[in-house]
Amino acid sequence: MFADSRFGYLEKIRFGLGYATAPVYWVADVPTRVSLWIDDVFVSHTDLLQENELLREQLLISQRELQFMESLTSENSRLLELREATEAISGEVLPAEIINISPDPYSKRVLINKGANDGVVTGQALLDANGLMGQVDEVLPSTSWVLLVTDFHHVMPVEVNRNGERALARGSRTTASELELEFVTQTQDMLAGDLLVSSGMGQVYPKNYPVAEIISVYADPGQDFAVVKARPLAQIASTRHVMVVLENETAPIQVNSIRDPAATGPDADEFLPLPVAQGQVIRRAPTPDDQ
Amino acid sequence: MQKRAHAIWVIFFSFFVAYLLAIVPFPEWAMNYRPEWVPMVLIYWVMALPHRLGIGSAWCAGLLLDILEGSTLGLNAISLVILAYVTLSLHQRMRMFTSLQQSGLIFVLVGLNLMLCHWLQIVTGQTINVSLLFLMAALTSAIIWPSLFQLLRQIRRSFDVH
Repeated sequence: MFADSRFGYLEKIRFGLGYATAPVYWVADVPTRVSLWIDDVFVSHTDLLQENELLREQLLISQRELQFMESLTSENSRLLELREATEAISGEVLPAEIINISPDPYSKRVLINKGANDGVVTGQALLDANGLMGQVDEVLPSTSWVLLVTDFHHVMPVEVNRNGERALARGSRTTASELELEFVTQTQDMLAGDLLVSSGMGQVYPKNYPVAEIISVYADPGQDFAVVKARPLAQIASTRHVMVVLENETAPIQVNSIRDPAATGPDADEFLPLPVAQGQVIRRAPTPDDQ
Repeated sequence: MQKRAHAIWVIFFSFFVAYLLAIVPFPEWAMNYRPEWVPMVLIYWVMALPHRLGIGSAWCAGLLLDILEGSTLGLNAISLVILAYVTLSLHQRMRMFTSLQQSGLIFVLVGLNLMLCHWLQIVTGQTINVSLLFLMAALTSAIIWPSLFQLLRQIRRSFDVH
């Protein structure tokens, strides 16, 4: 047991035993799939028409927004070119489904139905339609465990979208599905309602994905730091359809525990070769994601 | 020989169902009250067939449960081994007990199992849970035990597992 938690010799064994456990997950997921199937089959004609109309409207709105986004993107890349920087392009995504959650209410992990056979590796980011959910923690042959951003083991670097203030977001230590911002000084400009996006500094997550929204800021003059709580934007409790961000083939950076998924991000591409060219000795400093 | 293979199939199937019940998602408030199916099924089979199932099978059952729950490998295995050992040493007495007495004993055994798991999780830094609410699972297990016992006994007799 200690060999497993401290070293990781047993990952092969876990992987092998993963084959034996796959049918159990499959059967456990049957009721959900049956109910979804029934929803699909027994839906009335008018409902379908209404939904179709609604979707068309949404598509139009989205297209308009997309055009707007494109102009912004091109403007943004022009600006970045000025700074001789390259924009980290978000990689390919793999659609997946959440098929189970961790039985321990304090450990916020979910199981997705994609595994090593689909090209999932540890450290990849998981998103839903609204925001970032977590990172792949453990890969089994056809399933993988994802550590959610709300788990207390999970710390990620974020920044406030409004003004670029940086902070570390740690999962809540309670059963609540919340994030706590750590080491925020009393004078930092953060307000309830601010959007937090990933800053890409931990080199695990891609940059500028929406993560959470600040719900409360409490600054007690007697304390060193303000207490800032945030609610994740991803529909962690209710969504089933998610996306795994597949990365381009970067060598995973070795870390010394299975709790620390290796970092392979677009940022890793971007940052690692640079310092070597400048002739500096660079060792990857322990990033906040290595908690 | 035929019968023996048949019997093994029944035991495997009962464990399969127990695993299913152990990982089916519950609403969040009910998580702490989920009965411990795998330990209960293990206790039953060790009690009924101590010559067939013992510490080795408890170890294997625990390892599979670890993989399913995504916990540290060996966590459930070691606690189920201890559970199987206690059950093996008590099985003759347990068979004589009334169902109420059996439930009481199940409460203690499952509680011991949960406590062991919890201690090991704290030692390996996997949890920061300090409330003892998770012990409610022992109570629900004890409540469910008499019916589970009857069900498994019926299954064992009708399939002639021995």
